Amino acid sequence: MLKQYDTGIFYDEMMNTNGTPKRHYQWFYELVEDFSENELREKHETAQLNFLRKGITFTVYSQAGGTERTMPFDFVPIIIPKPQWNKIEEGMKQRLKALNHFLEDIYHDQEIIKAGVVPRGLVENNPYYYKQVQGLDVPLRNHVFLAGVDLIRDENGEYRVLEDNLRNPSGMSYVFQNRYVMRQVYPELFFQHSIETLEHQLSELQQTVMSHVPKQSEGNRSLTAVLLTPGMYNSAYYDHVFLAQQMGIELVEGRDLVVKDDVVYMKTIRGLKRVDIIYRRIDDDFLDPEAFRPDSALGVNGLLRAYKAGNVSILNGIGNGVADDKAMYVYVPEMIRFYLDEEPIIPNVETYFLSDPERMDYVLEHLDELVVKNVGASGGYDMLIGPQSSEEERELFREKIIEKPNQYIAQPTIKLSRAPAYQDGRFYPCHVDLRVFVMNGEKTHVLPGGLSRVALKEGSLVVNSSQGGGGKDTWILSEGGEPHAK
Amino acid sequence: MLSRVADSLYWLGRNMERAENNSRVLSTQLIHMLEATDEQALNRDWEEVIEICASIEDYYERYGRIDRDTVIQYLSISPLNMNSFMNCMIYARENAKATRDIIPEELWEVLNEFYLDQKEWEEQPSTRQHTERYLKNVTTTSMTAQGVIESSMSRDLPYTFLKVGKWLERGEKISRILNVFCEKNRKDPQSSNNTYYYWLTALQYTNGYDAYLKKNPPTMQPEKVLNFLIKEPTFPRSIRYCINHVKEAIDRIEDGKISHYSADLFDMIERIQVEIEDTEIESMDMEELMQFLDHFQDRCLTLSRMFSETYYLVEPAHVK
Repeated sequence: MLKQYDTGIFYDEMMNTNGTPKRHYQWFYELVEDFSENELREKHETAQLNFLRKGITFTVYSQAGGTERTMPFDFVPIIIPKPQWNKIEEGMKQRLKALNHFLEDIYHDQEIIKAGVVPRGLVENNPYYYKQVQGLDVPLRNHVFLAGVDLIRDENGEYRVLEDNLRNPSGMSYVFQNRYVMRQVYPELFFQHSIETLEHQLSELQQTVMSHVPKQSEGNRSLTAVLLTPGMYNSAYYDHVFLAQQMGIELVEGRDLVVKDDVVYMKTIRGLKRVDIIYRRIDDDFLDPEAFRPDSALGVNGLLRAYKAGNVSILNGIGNGVADDKAMYVYVPEMIRFYLDEEPIIPNVETYFLSDPERMDYVLEHLDELVVKNVGASGGYDMLIGPQSSEEERELFREKIIEKPNQYIAQPTIKLSRAPAYQDGRFYPCHVDLRVFVMNGEKTHVLPGGLSRVALKEGSLVVNSSQGGGGKDTWILSEGGEPHAK
Repeated sequence: MLSRVADSLYWLGRNMERAENNSRVLSTQLIHMLEATDEQALNRDWEEVIEICASIEDYYERYGRIDRDTVIQYLSISPLNMNSFMNCMIYARENAKATRDIIPEELWEVLNEFYLDQKEWEEQPSTRQHTERYLKNVTTTSMTAQGVIESSMSRDLPYTFLKVGKWLERGEKISRILNVFCEKNRKDPQSSNNTYYYWLTALQYTNGYDAYLKKNPPTMQPEKVLNFLIKEPTFPRSIRYCINHVKEAIDRIEDGKISHYSADLFDMIERIQVEIEDTEIESMDMEELMQFLDHFQDRCLTLSRMFSETYYLVEPAHVK
């Protein structure tokens, strides 16, 4: 069924240019060849329905209101041989260690600024730099308890970091649900493969949460952790439900919490109960109307005071956004060198700042070849993909860039790797990326695999679920990528 | 347990029960309608059905007269009627969604499935057959949901809050139904033929017909039917049974102990129990019975308010 498949000029995860499967996909390829067209179609439908029936949805907002949608699932997994994965794992640990150092540093002594590695203006004028938490000692000196780092592969198959998500990375529930559905609907595929299991990963996450003991709670009192959600109308609500339930912690909304004498409590049927650790899925700005945006209806008055008093831990830390925006991204390799004295294991994508006039001229002349991104935006919004843009779109971005050069960066259009996707009864190549989840507590742990996202619209480079992206299961072969002997 | 969660569970119990009860009333009426010959009487029947399942004033505010298809639509899928089955089921699903980390996965799935099918229901033409299948689907969904609750939920707080909602809703609904039939009977005491028909319908509305026949002759004497639906201790749709189970649930929440904060609540529920025990249904006339039922409904309102206050439940979102 993959006979007509054309890898084109891109790196393909599964297929060689000559039409044969790569070694670590050999078994998978043969198993798929055994399926009839009907079977494939039926299984595909069963899988999609599974997500809908279980209500594994995200909410998309438009003028007409919110609609619940499922993330389309594609059954062709991304298979990664163990040695490659080991390298990714090391690279992620290294990167997170440096980023965490960076956050601790810029909110304390600012050594990296004094050393002239990162410009002061870039830090202190950053809208996500919160002076409110300067000098604050957070539990374990750890700011990033959970990161979702987006990786891509270039035309040579080399992994590169595209984005560090250090605030509220979502999508971990999908990793588990994709695996679950895959096992339910395509059990045959698992017989011949030995892949890293996802069991126990959520207890790792739970232990990571619980290890962030606030200063004032040290001692032997048993700790209460909660997951703070904006509520059921939030687009990632399913993610929140799943994680809270699997970790056995209470899922709370802002209105369930109250701060009294700098201590956080939740409102229960038996009165107030003390809360020690908050895994929040609300952005900094909305956390505490008293300290940040006064119009926030999601937050809790006094939360920052409680945090500063050491009565509660807030995960991820407040003010992480300064380290994961698209401008600071450029400096991460330097951070790795500065704090760890190491070379980055996984490189960045080449990036141009537009505040440099010469660069800006170059970029304006080559808009049709480049990707331009707003440094403050995410989710695929306010972004120009040069080769796929119209003259009007380029003109619009030209104006935007000239008006606010500091607000934008440009990157060469990377020939994102592709993998086969099966939709509407046929296989065709789609661009993919990989969100890797890194948990940090007393130690660092990388979830094996992660969320492979796929741009299902043919030719599209945008993998975000809000813009028509889908998900795939990610397999780490536990036996070095060698298929079993037949 | 969070107060907000407790509140959602309480309303989940209420909304599912309300949808099921209302759909049963409507399906019974759809059958009776076929035998009715007198248009005036038929219109009166419809008014009563609306009064049981929603509010007749609200209906007349929107529509000038009784029209069968309008009423069916109003009671089943109208978004304008807060108590239409569709709205009750949507609220129930939202209650379930807000407590997904607490309730069994299957309970959520059952309600979600109904919601997903809803779109198809709305698109089909509203034939009689279609309406009947829709009503059946409401009942089946509610029963399946209750099956999941009974077979898989631990008998702890979430379960108990769900059940308090359910029993209170059911008790109130039975008394509303009986009120309507007492009124009918009072206006029309002479014709024994009509009386038979009224009380048979009351039993069908409350799903008590079969159970009643096992204990009573099929003559439909009003005092016997009323006694059965108010005081029969073994029938799970009698007022007494419902109230006893509310009491049992609150006992479970409090581990059988009465604390200062729950004293008023216990006091109220015990008073209601005594009032039911002490009432001699068979010796009361329709006037007295209606007073008794009105009084009971007031008591239920007080009880649910006290319950909410005792456990700091937030302002109910969908209270009628």
